[in-house]
Amino acid sequence: MAIVGHALSIVSLLISLAIFFYFRSLSCQRITLHKNLFCSYVLNSAFTIVNLITVVNNPKVVQRNPIGCKVLHFFHMYMLGCNYFWMLCEGIYLHTLIVVAVFAEEQHLHWYYLLGWGFPLVPASIHAVARKKYFDDNCWMSVETHLLYVVHGPIMAALLVNLFFLLNIVRVLVTKLRDTHRAESNMYMKAVRATLILVPLLGIQFVIFPWRPENRLAGEIYDYIMHILMHYQGLLVATIFCFFNGEVQGALKRQWMQYKAQWGQRRREHCSMRSTSYTATSITEVPAFMYHHDCNSEHLNGKQTEDSELVALKTGETYA
Amino acid sequence: MASVSWRRALFFLLVVNLSVLTTACSSHYGNAIEEFCLAKFKLDMEVLDQRQWCSWEDTVESYGELTNCTFLVALKMNCFWPNRMVDEFFIRVHRHYFHDCSMSGRLLHDPPNRILGPFIVVPILVTLLMTALVVWRSKRSEGIV
Repeated sequence: MAIVGHALSIVSLLISLAIFFYFRSLSCQRITLHKNLFCSYVLNSAFTIVNLITVVNNPKVVQRNPIGCKVLHFFHMYMLGCNYFWMLCEGIYLHTLIVVAVFAEEQHLHWYYLLGWGFPLVPASIHAVARKKYFDDNCWMSVETHLLYVVHGPIMAALLVNLFFLLNIVRVLVTKLRDTHRAESNMYMKAVRATLILVPLLGIQFVIFPWRPENRLAGEIYDYIMHILMHYQGLLVATIFCFFNGEVQGALKRQWMQYKAQWGQRRREHCSMRSTSYTATSITEVPAFMYHHDCNSEHLNGKQTEDSELVALKTGETYA
Repeated sequence: MASVSWRRALFFLLVVNLSVLTTACSSHYGNAIEEFCLAKFKLDMEVLDQRQWCSWEDTVESYGELTNCTFLVALKMNCFWPNRMVDEFFIRVHRHYFHDCSMSGRLLHDPPNRILGPFIVVPILVTLLMTALVVWRSKRSEGIV
């Protein structure tokens, strides 16, 4: 059952990645962070599926205890860390954008890449060393050891820090921007909303995990919810960040209209035997700067804004 | 006369020995150890929680008793000890009770808190430091300090 969840996650994430790569007009720094996040989710789900098929369901391999299954476990822990640290990168990026250096155009993403891909090696390595020295069971499969907190501790810390950043952003948007720039604060609120929904969803499994209810019905409901939260995470992330995103939906609609117009045009040409090369305006070929401008200034799930309001906002107060 | 009685005594001893050898180890030995020794061992292990079966400290006494018991039955039945039947018996016991124990022979348990603590706290602190570093660097890249 877990394999189904992860397979669905991989499929939806690959579709989202294809959308993000195909529509160049959508690309901006926030989308770049989304792409990295989705990559880490795809890899995590892939490693989980491989782990489940080759090790967990295979007692002969566990008895043989080859070194490969421990290496696989190590990479699995690394990918788990990458997932949550990329979510943290998204939170830090929004925080820097909105609270610290308001509406600044370009940040250097090197540090985000370091935190997202490089840093999770640290808890994963420490866990591998500790496990080898103190709790070297077959294939490191046992979950009854507190050494797992070596990986889960930093993950929970990352989630808490993320939550704190997001709540801070909401506070700034609500108190400081509300009076002067109501429309913009609503826009940014929508941008933050997606991340604010996801962080507790991803984190709650760690909080309520120890407290399985005794009651049979509640226990089953708990099992289903935990199962969904743990194994369908990639699907949730892809849905909330990509499929429910207004810009993505707009881009997809435009592409669909363009295809329809092209087919209609081709049929007319075919019928009338004309050789004109006129096709409907390819809307996705609009100069990149327009969409780049929108993405940088909005990063949102919402609609377009007036240029004048944006200029007013930029010359407004900055928040250090 | 003495030599005749000596020879007779020797002959009698030989006959007795031979008769003992002919009533030596039979397959009844296998049944005997199953009945007498294994039953007690089973009871002892059932008292323990299944997770403790791999803990040498908890099982060493019953295991020692089992070994002793097979030795005594072997003596009673004039079997040589150890023998192939007792080997196979112990292989069966190990396969049932000890098949997934770790190589060190000890039940796996967490290290003491004074070792576990730093192992958990240090990565958390490093995480927080790294986060602060990234926030600080992205702030600085705007020229806003």
